Amino acid sequence: MSLNDKLKKLRESGIDDAKRAEHLQELNDLRVNLLGKKGPITQALRGMKDVPKEERPEIGTLANNVKKEIQEAIEARMNDLNKRMVEQKLQEETVDVTLPAQSHELGTKHILNQTVEDIEQFFIGLGYEVAPGYEVEEDHYNFERLNIPKDHPARDMQDTFYLTNELLMRTQTSAQEGRDMEAHDFSKGPLKMISPGVVYRRDDDDATHSHQFHQLEGLVVDKNISMADLKGTLEALCRHVFGAEREIRFRPSFFPFTEPSVEVDVSCFNCGGKGCRICKYTGWIEVLGAGLTHPNVLEMSGIDHTVYSAFAFGLGPERFAMLKYGVTDIRDFYTNDVRFLEQFKGVN
Amino acid sequence: MKISMNWLKEYLPVEHNVEEIANKVSLTGIESAPVELGTDLSGLVVGHIIDVKPHPDSDHLNLCQVEIGEKEPVQIVCGASNVANGQYVIVAKNGANLPAGKVIKSGEIRGQLSNGMICGLDELGVKEKFVPKEFQKGIYVFPAEEQPGADAKELLGLNDTMVDMDITPNRADTLGMRGAAWEIGATYDHKPSFTKPEIAESKVVKNNDVKINIKAKDLVTDYLVRTMSNVTVTESPLWIQRRLWNQDIQPVNNIVDAANYVMIEFGEPIQVYDLDKLTDKEITVEMAAEGHKLELNDGNKKDLSHDDLVITSGGQALGLAGVQKSSVAEVTSDTKNILVESAVFDGTSVRKAAQRHDLRGNVSNRFEKGVDNGAVSESLTRAVQLIDSITNVESISQEIVGVQTKAEPIIIDGKISHINSLMGIELSPEEMLKIIDRLGFTAERNGDEISVSIPTRRWDMTIEADLIEEIIRIFGYDNLKGTLPSGHETRGGYTPIREFINKLTSVLLSEGMDETINFALINKHEVEDFNTIHTNLTRLLHPMTEDHEYLRTSLVPGLIKDIAYNQARGNDNISIFEQGRIFDRKEGTDRPEELEYIAGAVSGNVLEDSWNTTSKTVDFYDVKGIVEEMLMFTNSDAEFEYSATDQIPNLHPGQTANISVDGDVIGYIGKLHPNYQSDHNVADTYVFEINVDKLFELSRKQVQAKSAPKYPSITRDLAILVGKNISSGQIVKDIFENGGDYLIDVNIFDVYQGSNIESGFKSLGYHLIFQNANDTLTDETVEKSFTNIKNSLVSKFNVEVR
Repeated sequence: MSLNDKLKKLRESGIDDAKRAEHLQELNDLRVNLLGKKGPITQALRGMKDVPKEERPEIGTLANNVKKEIQEAIEARMNDLNKRMVEQKLQEETVDVTLPAQSHELGTKHILNQTVEDIEQFFIGLGYEVAPGYEVEEDHYNFERLNIPKDHPARDMQDTFYLTNELLMRTQTSAQEGRDMEAHDFSKGPLKMISPGVVYRRDDDDATHSHQFHQLEGLVVDKNISMADLKGTLEALCRHVFGAEREIRFRPSFFPFTEPSVEVDVSCFNCGGKGCRICKYTGWIEVLGAGLTHPNVLEMSGIDHTVYSAFAFGLGPERFAMLKYGVTDIRDFYTNDVRFLEQFKGVN
Repeated sequence: MKISMNWLKEYLPVEHNVEEIANKVSLTGIESAPVELGTDLSGLVVGHIIDVKPHPDSDHLNLCQVEIGEKEPVQIVCGASNVANGQYVIVAKNGANLPAGKVIKSGEIRGQLSNGMICGLDELGVKEKFVPKEFQKGIYVFPAEEQPGADAKELLGLNDTMVDMDITPNRADTLGMRGAAWEIGATYDHKPSFTKPEIAESKVVKNNDVKINIKAKDLVTDYLVRTMSNVTVTESPLWIQRRLWNQDIQPVNNIVDAANYVMIEFGEPIQVYDLDKLTDKEITVEMAAEGHKLELNDGNKKDLSHDDLVITSGGQALGLAGVQKSSVAEVTSDTKNILVESAVFDGTSVRKAAQRHDLRGNVSNRFEKGVDNGAVSESLTRAVQLIDSITNVESISQEIVGVQTKAEPIIIDGKISHINSLMGIELSPEEMLKIIDRLGFTAERNGDEISVSIPTRRWDMTIEADLIEEIIRIFGYDNLKGTLPSGHETRGGYTPIREFINKLTSVLLSEGMDETINFALINKHEVEDFNTIHTNLTRLLHPMTEDHEYLRTSLVPGLIKDIAYNQARGNDNISIFEQGRIFDRKEGTDRPEELEYIAGAVSGNVLEDSWNTTSKTVDFYDVKGIVEEMLMFTNSDAEFEYSATDQIPNLHPGQTANISVDGDVIGYIGKLHPNYQSDHNVADTYVFEINVDKLFELSRKQVQAKSAPKYPSITRDLAILVGKNISSGQIVKDIFENGGDYLIDVNIFDVYQGSNIESGFKSLGYHLIFQNANDTLTDETVEKSFTNIKNSLVSKFNVEVR
């Protein structure tokens, strides 16, 4: 067999072997065996001396081409095998994505605190400070400074837990008004504050009453504060909490520490005002009480009511949450069944 | 108070239905609801009984022949014991509708035809306690002749429509029909008109026997009486009776009813006494003396005290002033001469007396909230006129004045510009004056200044703010356009402690703990069980129940209650926390300090059994991990030390640690004592509680950023055998003290005691990590530190390095 034929044969069998290899090792062996220094091609080229001089370049070229082609066949097969291995690996690693996750549950913030924080954030955005108050308060701040002297009939509206004759569990976050007004430096600008917190009343606990509940008081004292400012502020609040479509309305009411006093209704977020079970078919839901701060209350805090005016409002986070999420029993907020608590994950 | 439209029509045109009126009044003045009486009634007529015979087959039924305005009388079987021939009665005809869906059908009763039913008032929906006493147990009999067949529903006032006003304490002026007419009139821009009561001059005689002595002058501002002679006490005419029962007042007799009628009409309570039952003719208004008793109609007697204002005569209490009349001088059927009283008593005194004796009612309600002292005399005149018109008396005395306070209008001065500015609207002076006039007030204007004269019927109004409320509500809140306060910019935000609290709670939420809110008022056991701050307990003066008697001194009892509640309902795996106040009362003080605390409790599994995990029950170190992470987030440079303690009651003595900073205990972590757990029905539970105020006071780290180290770290493992009583904390502290500058971390990877270990010893394994942020560490350097560490441990703790 001529050298030429030998090389062609080697090419044929080499490429064929490469294509049939099933393992990377086979291909490595093939390369070493076929293309190495001791391999048949190198061996075959040793017979070059017997080839006529003029044919040598041609044979040389052929030999190089054979080497190259075999090399390429090995590489191509290697790529195929690698690809196949990756595919096989991916196949093996495939998971059932419908199996349940490894849970990394976060806790749920209490729905009342979520409700309060939502309102706080709204008012912080409007430049209000969040002022905490005392849960044990003096009769003086809880009542007298709010224009509710001893023996005032309005004290019947809220039965009180007393600790001593002068100390009590605050019945309203309005108790914070006097403290904030007397502490505020009006030369530095208006007072705008909200005061959320827990309050206490002598009520038997049932589906709609709790001896402990939450309130959030708001107070703005400045020159030229008006009923229109109160309405605009509460309108914005109610839209923030209950939806952008909401309207509010004021109804005259009575609180000893505001004059005029109003109760505030929001258009029903369930039926949009057409009338449904939630709004008792009136289209409106009572959500809070408010008014212009009574001149006596300003004066008792050392504020000249002929120069300054103020509005105040008070709302109940329990009521807001009950309305918004359809909670029907106020006691659910305080028994802390985790199934109740966890349904409010991330609502605010 | 329920405002009858039939009655209101006497003062005002009523042009709308009650639903519309109630809605409008709610929006402009007083929260109101519409009431329509008798919507479930039909087929009721007046019947005239012309014959009564006993039912042949019954010992209590009667066969009545009743004229009901039809051609022939009808036969009705009646079982009422008070049925009698000649009576004018209510007949429910065949097919009539009664409350609760009851329909009357003709039929036979024990073989006798009965064409309808003769009714009692209670069968028509009038509550029994408002039905005249003599008709409570039987049929109602009209007080006078009526036309048979006439509409009984209308005659009885049961076709009336009403506006039920839920009156706030400041609007007691509407606790009378006249006041309500002013209010509804202002709403619809109608001025009410009233007839001035007048007495027949010919009957007026000089008083010459009754004397009034006001001793308690500070509690009585007006006290007027008149006497009337030779009255005839009967039942009232129907028109009075029906108005009373529609007001939830029981008709009694013409004299008492007239007094009650005037109370409803004017809002001024009127009392009547049987003059002949007074022991002498001197009336004294004074504080009750020893032995004074209030005799009630039910025969009970109440002891009166020095705090009670009473009307007395001859040492006998005639009544608790402004609250309740005694039965001693009650007007009864044989009364001939009467004394009629109209007065104003101090509201607070009345309120307290009514509360003290549990006798709040129509009368005390009005005095408590105030009455119009400008109408005391007029309402007395009206009562006397009404009684005279019903029972034609012989004579009426002049007004006898015990005390009288001049009734003068209140003048409120204001500025139109100021009023507009507070409302946030721009009313022209004319518009404002028009509203003031609509309210029935009179105003004088001088440029921007107005002076408004408020009649005495609106005694609630005293200052400009009151006037503003009146103007804006009549102007209409719906017409008010909302604005936002337009003053200086202010910077809103939380207080620093609140920001800090928000951070702590967010860590616990991230640790998978649910936030709870518990009651701050708890029972004695709860407050004593976890008084870890060793404070004095704070107790309510008058607790409602033992469950809510003390102010909490720890958040833990609430959390344990929550866990018990949940585990009883099959929620076994619980991880919860609360942030709130506890109450720390120092010796010798009444007012407890309010400390911000944060506490958590974990019970059950921290890892659940699942297709790829096995469950793990909570242990001390899970909870310690949560606490450490939270403390890490305080960004404090303080060193938090955990030291074992067996001194906290109700916690496990071997699984509890105090957490302290520089020797000051700021909180604890521990397992509940097994006995406590079984007493409180909770599974193994770990709790922690930390004083947030103390955490907040710790200094904060000033973080100076460093680049992440570029040089690799070197780890050495250290295994030692050490006495059981040496804590890992002590070892780690010593390792750090001797580890040199490049020791950056020590991690424990093994704790072992048991077989192969000498008893009394344990084996501990640590990874020690060394790193030089600025250079490659050499083995020599590390080896030097490692040797120092080992030597120190050997010499200090007698460890055996393995």
